[in-house]
Amino acid sequence: MAEERYPINIWVNEERYEKLKEAGLAEMCEEMLAGLKVIRVYANDAQKDKILKAFPTAKFDSATTKSIELLPKDVKDKMFDLIVQKKSVDILDEFLSNY
Amino acid sequence: MAEIGHGGKEIVERILEPSEAKEKIKGLKQIPIRSQIANEVIDIAYGFFCPLEGFMSKADLDSVCKNMRLASGVVWSIPILFDMSESEISDYGIKAGDSVVLTYQDNPLALFEIEEIYDYDKKAICQAVYGTTEEKHPGCARTYAYKDKFIGGKITLVNRPKINPPFEPYFIPPLEMRKKFKEKGWVRVVAHQTRNVPHTGHEWLMKGAWLQTYGELSIEKPLVGVLVNAIIGEKRKGDYIDEAIILCQDELRKAGYFGDHNHMTSLTFWDMRYAGPKEAVFHAILRTNLGLTHHMYGRDHAGVGTYYGPYDAHRLLESIKDELNITPVYSMNWLYCPHCGEVTSEGLCNHRDEWQKFSGTVIRSIVMDGVKPPRLIFRPEVFDLVMECAEKYGFGSPFVTDEYLKNRTPVFSVPPLE
Ligand SMILES: [Zn+2]
Repeated sequence: MAEERYPINIWVNEERYEKLKEAGLAEMCEEMLAGLKVIRVYANDAQKDKILKAFPTAKFDSATTKSIELLPKDVKDKMFDLIVQKKSVDILDEFLSNY
Repeated sequence: MAEIGHGGKEIVERILEPSEAKEKIKGLKQIPIRSQIANEVIDIAYGFFCPLEGFMSKADLDSVCKNMRLASGVVWSIPILFDMSESEISDYGIKAGDSVVLTYQDNPLALFEIEEIYDYDKKAICQAVYGTTEEKHPGCARTYAYKDKFIGGKITLVNRPKINPPFEPYFIPPLEMRKKFKEKGWVRVVAHQTRNVPHTGHEWLMKGAWLQTYGELSIEKPLVGVLVNAIIGEKRKGDYIDEAIILCQDELRKAGYFGDHNHMTSLTFWDMRYAGPKEAVFHAILRTNLGLTHHMYGRDHAGVGTYYGPYDAHRLLESIKDELNITPVYSMNWLYCPHCGEVTSEGLCNHRDEWQKFSGTVIRSIVMDGVKPPRLIFRPEVFDLVMECAEKYGFGSPFVTDEYLKNRTPVFSVPPLE
């Protein structure tokens, strides 16, 4: 069985979308919930545990969406910047090495 | 005509007029209480907790733990307790038969006629009410935080709380609520329990419950209402602020998603116990007293973590349905289906692989990222009001922060007794 993966939804507002377009990454967005743009970064079990420990406000929505939610905006901004810089959503190892 | 509440007992407000109150409390010892107890004092006095007239005796507590009933046999699921330490009791020099004045915010709130001072095994309470003795269950934590002695006795309000803006229109006690329902001509009213700012999943829960409740009634004039009854109590960091919850619930009516003819918003003071099935029964009792005929229950009602199964509350309600004067309405979840292009019920749509579920948590995450959710998911009027509440009441945040906890205006104040 493949390892469980838990999405972190980085919701894309106008400002983030502009940055993505400039970097030629606009197609990285998925569309969800009747028109919301989102970039999904996936965490494995160990990464999920580390995130929930490092950011106490974060919550794993076990009941409905099975996603990691409520990360502070500045944390998501940093993840987003790293995605733009690396042109990839595979950023969690590098991101978490600072925590 | 007498207004009959839970257990077949008439709802009577236990509130003294100021002149009589002043006379009655003269020379009595004053005992300050914390917010949880103040909330419950208010609930008892206004009849939210009918047939309770005060804090529970040992016989009632024992019977609630062992049989989910008061000593009289009437169904009751959650202990309503006044606690004090042994040393406080001896410092105040109080004993059974005494009357004392309970004060809140340094002003007299209620007369407490002490009938009994007793102790009870807190672990046994936890096991009976919450089905666990784990301290990490918030209801158990609240139980373990009680001091070692309990005091039973009748409560009479000596001073009406002043409900502060913007909450004043939403504090509608049982007798007044029942009058309002009559004025509206509603013959059935369904309760929506909430501690949330509504997204369209909640809106559709209410709409679905309204349809279920309407049933076979005539459609010639509006006969059915939804009552949002928001639970206002202790706040945790990261929750929506109370002002946003109550005003945004009402905004669904004001912005036309509902109307005066079918929707009303109100609040009850209560510190959630997260007792799952037992809290579901408690909610049924509370809303019976408010005059409702139906009560919505979704999956895992008032649960926490993985302590309760999704349908445990429904089964417990079913087992006592002949003793409740309120009909449960069970709700399936609503979700967004991109194929249907709409919010739909999981009991209806069959595009299962395409379903996009959303929760209050997800909406909070979207808002925290500075993104305005689409109107099918979160109403723009509600979004704008959340942001307005953040500025006006939340010190810049729609979510509870340390600053909010420290500096917010309390929901109610107890004025000096004039
Ligand atoms: Zn569909």
